[in-house]
Formats: sequence, C-alpha cells, structure tokens
Amino acid sequence: MNSSSIYRPAGFDFSNEIRNNFLHEKGLPLPGATSTGTTIVGCLFKDGIVLGADTRATEGPIVADKNCEKIHYITESIRCCGAGTAADTEFTTALISSNMEMHALQTGRKPRVVTAMTMLKQMLHRYQGHIGAALVLGGVDITGPQLFTIHPHGSTDKLPYVTMGSGSLAAMAMFESSWKPNMEREEALTLVKAAIAAGIFNDLGSGSNVDACIITATGTEMLRNVEMPNQRVQKERDYKFRRGTTAWRKEDIRQLIVQEHTKPVGGDEMDTS
Amino acid sequence: MERIDFDRLKTGEVNLGTSIMAVQFKDGVVIGADSRTTTGSYIANRVTDKLTHVHDRIYCCRSGSAADTQAVADIVHRFLQSEAQEREETPTVHIAASVFQKICYGNKDALSAGIIVAGWDKDVGPSVYNIPLGGGLFRQPWAIGGSGSTYVYGYCDATFKDGWGRDETVEFVKNTLALAMSRDGSSGGVIRMCVITEDSVQRLFVPGNELPRFWEGQEVLGAASKKIGSDVEVVPMAVEV
Amino acid sequence: MSIMSHNGGSVIAMVGKDCVAIASDLRLGNEAMGISSNFQRIFPVSDRIYLGLPGLATDVATLREKFRFRVNMYTIKEEREIKPETFAHLVSSTLYEHRFGPYFIEPVMAGISKTPTGGVKPFIAATDLIGCLNFAKDFVVAGTASDKLYGVAEGLWEPDLEPEDLFETISQTLLNAVDRDAFSGWGALVHVITKDKVITRTLKGRMD
Repeated sequence: MNSSSIYRPAGFDFSNEIRNNFLHEKGLPLPGATSTGTTIVGCLFKDGIVLGADTRATEGPIVADKNCEKIHYITESIRCCGAGTAADTEFTTALISSNMEMHALQTGRKPRVVTAMTMLKQMLHRYQGHIGAALVLGGVDITGPQLFTIHPHGSTDKLPYVTMGSGSLAAMAMFESSWKPNMEREEALTLVKAAIAAGIFNDLGSGSNVDACIITATGTEMLRNVEMPNQRVQKERDYKFRRGTTAWRKEDIRQLIVQEHTKPVGGDEMDTS
Repeated sequence: MERIDFDRLKTGEVNLGTSIMAVQFKDGVVIGADSRTTTGSYIANRVTDKLTHVHDRIYCCRSGSAADTQAVADIVHRFLQSEAQEREETPTVHIAASVFQKICYGNKDALSAGIIVAGWDKDVGPSVYNIPLGGGLFRQPWAIGGSGSTYVYGYCDATFKDGWGRDETVEFVKNTLALAMSRDGSSGGVIRMCVITEDSVQRLFVPGNELPRFWEGQEVLGAASKKIGSDVEVVPMAVEV
Repeated sequence: MSIMSHNGGSVIAMVGKDCVAIASDLRLGNEAMGISSNFQRIFPVSDRIYLGLPGLATDVATLREKFRFRVNMYTIKEEREIKPETFAHLVSSTLYEHRFGPYFIEPVMAGISKTPTGGVKPFIAATDLIGCLNFAKDFVVAGTASDKLYGVAEGLWEPDLEPEDLFETISQTLLNAVDRDAFSGWGALVHVITKDKVITRTLKGRMD
C-alpha cells in the first residue's frame, strides 16, 4: 500500500483515479469539496492596495466555516485573496508563497507582484482549469502598487478595482458607483468594507465578517475581522445537561501520567551465599 | 474563413468574445480591438487591452480564450526577446507570426485562440498575418477576427481600398469596430487602437460615449415615405409605430 | 446515492475547558443494510491526539494505515511527538496529494498540546475530502449526519465545559443527531481527552 521508500515523489498522486472513475461510471456522483462561495475584492488607492474578503466557507448549502481566512500570505508586501475550491486556493497560494521566498533568496531582491502573478497564471493554465482557484492578487513592489485578478484557467486582468467570487456582482456594484482615482487610505478602506458588506448581505454564498489588508510601500496591515456585523447574541439560558444524563455501557480510562512506586524488598546487602 | 466555435470553450472560461482588426497601409499598420471580456453573461473586464505587445514593432490582437491567448502571447514574447538578443537584430513580423502559428497548430486540440499578428519590419515594411482557430497562417492586407467580425465582413469588403494613408486607415478601423460592437453582444466597451510605423507605436483610445454612430437611424425603417411604381405601397421591413 | 454515504457513519469533535472530546457512531453499512455495530472509525494518533475518519470504509482502513506510517516516520525523523497542529497539516497535505482522485473521507481531529508555560491548549480541526482545513474554536462535524450534527451542536455547545460536562454535551449531540440519520447510529463511542487521562465510553444508543 505505502511505498516503502521514505522519499515520495512530489506533486499529485493519481492512484485512486481508476477506482473513482469506475465508481463514477456506476452512477455514483463524486462528492463536492468545500468551496469558498465568496466575496473578495481589491482596490487601488493613492499609496497602495486594499484587499478585502468575507469569512464564510460553504459545502453546498451548509456553512462549513463561519470565520475562515481568505486573504493569504504570499510575501510581506504581496497578499492574495482566494475564491473557488477552498483547498485549491489554500495550497496554490502556499506553493507560490514558498516559490516567491525561494526566488527572493536566489535573486537577493524584493520580489515583484508580476512575478507572483506570472507563476500563478502559468500554474493554473497548465492545469487547464482543474485547479479551481479564482484569485485577487495585490501588493506593492519597486514598480509601485499592483492589482490583478487571476481566473481558474490562467487568464489575468490588471485593473484599479477588482472583485471575484459569487458576491463579485454585488461588490462590483459598490465599486462602479463609488470608486474614484487617488483615494485616501481611509476612504479606500471604507469602500472595500462596503463592497464586502454588499456581498455578505446580498449573496448567499458570502457571509459573517469582513477581513481587510492594507498594503503600502511602508508596510502591510492585516485587519482580521475589521467589521463583525453578524455577531451572535448571548444566549439567555443554556442547555447544560446534568451529569449522568447519558447512559453508557462501558468505560475505559487511560492514565497518561504513569505512577511508579518502588517497594524495596529485603536489605541492601549483596547475596553472597 | 473558419468560424469561431465557442462551444470549444469550457464553461466558466474567460472569453474574449471579441471584435479585433488589423489593416496595413503605406507606412505601417493600424490594429484595433474592443475592450470586453466576458464570463458567460458577466462582463469580467470592460476596459481590456487585447492589443498585446510581443516585440518593439510587432503586436498581436487576441480573440478566443483569454487564458490560452495570454499564455501563447507570453511564450512568443519571451521567444522574440531571446531571438533578438541572440541574433542581434529585430525579428520580422513573419517570424513572430510563424511562432504563433506553430504553437496554435501544434496544440490545436487544446487551444481556442484566434490571433492576428501585425507590425512593421525592415524586410517587407508593414504586414498583417491572420492565424484563425485551426492554426493556419495567412498574410492579408486587412484582417478581422472574433465573434463580432462576422457582422462586418461585407462592410470591410465594400469599404477597403488600397493606398490609404494613416488617417483614413484609422477611420476605417474605428468605423468597422464600432459597427461590429453595435451588433455583437460579446463585444463592446471602448475602442483601443495602435498605429505601428517604423518610427513609433502610437496608441489611440476612443471612449464608449464617443464611438462613431454614422449609421444610426438607418437600420430601422420608418413608415414608407414614398411610393414606388404606380400605386403599390411597399411594406417596410420593420415599422416603428 | 453518493459514495460518501455508502457505508454511513458520522464523527464530531468539541472543545471544552482544557480538554477536547471526539465521538462517533459505530455503524458500518452497505447502503441501507447494516453490517456491523462495532465499527471503530476513531483512532489514537498519539497519547493526546485522536483522529476520526468518517466516509468510505475501505478508505478508513487505507488512510488509518497511511497516517500511522507517516506519523511514525515523522516521530523517527524529528525525534519528538507530533503536535496536533502539525498533524492537521499532515492530514491536509496527504489528502490534497490525492486532489485528482480523492479518498472519500472527511477527517476530524481532536487533541491537546502542552504550552511552554505548562498549561494545555485544546485543538480540533476537520478537513473536506481534498484537505481543506477548518480550524474551529467550538466544534467540527463530518459524515452522513453532519448537517443534523451542525444544527444540534450549534444549539447545545457552550464554551469552557469541564470534561464530564463536555462528555454529556457531545454524547447528547451525537445521539440525537444520528437518531435522525438512517445511515448513522447503532451505538456510539466517545473519547474525552484531558491533561492527564483519556476517558473512553461506549454509549447506549438506539439499535434501529
């Protein structure tokens, strides 16, 4: 079953493909993965980029995670919002982040946003859309603030304000009506928060809180849960069960702390008889 | 001319359902494109730049899948950079077009890319190459492409004349694209154009509210105003009441 | 009929005060037909980490061995016990390796780690079948009764439950959820992991 070598080849393992395709041909639908039915946005302003995201992860109609993180780290001054298949956005951004660090170490320069963009688009194009990652990539480098969208098939767009995910239409409506060039930092953050809020309240796939990230030439500020418009109210009473409510058949307690008693038997003298 | 088969695009794929064009004239070429990028019925980008630089005096117009055409253009761009460096001379438009053609033909089953390559070089001056979907390579005095092009073949055939100057050619491109964009739902936005000559590459921009509309008011007939023949009243094609 | 519900079964994990609990039902089925009422799908990974594997039973066995192998290799190479957070990433990347031919398992993990100050930190996590991690602060669920478990747990869970109270809460959550799921049930097993001991109890449940 497992290869006996401790060195496994890197990359994907297709060993279950035959079995799964067989099951699929017998009429069993292949189950879906967690998707971030999402609102993610990016916005250019006077001295940098503001990225924004909601925090809901869904599995079909079920909310799988009420407060997940969708703004991923690429480098200190480059971040990436992910929409689409959650595992794909997570692992794709982690891989590119690693490659960007290696690239920075190798060249001895601060890495650029276009470098990350090119790595991502080439990888996603190679996988022909099977890696379902829709990304908003933003950051500040030597050439100034940069903002891109990357679609799952590997196409990219460079725009001053972008939205992606199922809530992109609601968020884009906010940008199309309120965005203007050379905004101040606070103005841009307010607009991004409004765009994400539009997604949270008008798109069923998006919800919970607002995450934002402000990237400027002087530094990056990650604002986790800047807005929490969907806090649960304190429960008035609780459903605590009285101990002994649940009937059980068998109990087994494993002590993790091993106690040792040393009982001396006889004296200290050596038996010389 | 092969028709662009949009069924080849996978669902959810970003599409350049496009109107693109390139025309050569005495001193150079004029290339132009609309600016619409769509995913299904959603406009993912309304100010797209489909005129892509591949070398100093060589550009391409992209239609079909955005991902595929960007990837191909990136490969050609990189190839021409190293080619120019190694041979210490600027590559010709024909070389660029041939590289595009090799990639498009060699991967024809995997790609949906309709590309027009145009530019200026020392050997032949201005030239326009059309590389439609299957990966053919055709040199043409003018070329149009994308979903919008089907609406304006007749207009181009009737209007194009040899020996135009720069300004007439720009007008021709602008008018053709405006006509295509007005009829094709997958095209629209603004018109981007490039005039590529030996000395310079000049970018031109026509905003969406300043597009030519010279044909307007003629495509729908009003009530028949004059009688033809003796006393037979002609029934118009469409009547606005 | 989905592959995920071919054999049935559900798992839930919850956080308490300096303790965690993980519980699952004991049914193994072949679609609607019950096969076994003593099918264990929660496995100890280390003293203080437990792993639940709801999903296709063949993959439960395969992954159990795979993780045992990988955790052993980790322990030998690193010469230390694996931390729950590290183990969660091991699970996640193992599943993502099979992104284009997945195992039909949605793992649930529960464990406690020691902090440098001598305290303990409870940890739970779950992933989808291709390894997307979900670090929750309250509870995680998976399996054929997952949507019912979400609903019941959302109502019953509260912060800072003592081990014995956590046992009642997780047991009642599981029992009541699986009673409304045709593919889960047939008894249940609960592990409560505390700083110094692991309490394992087999619950009385409906056998229909």
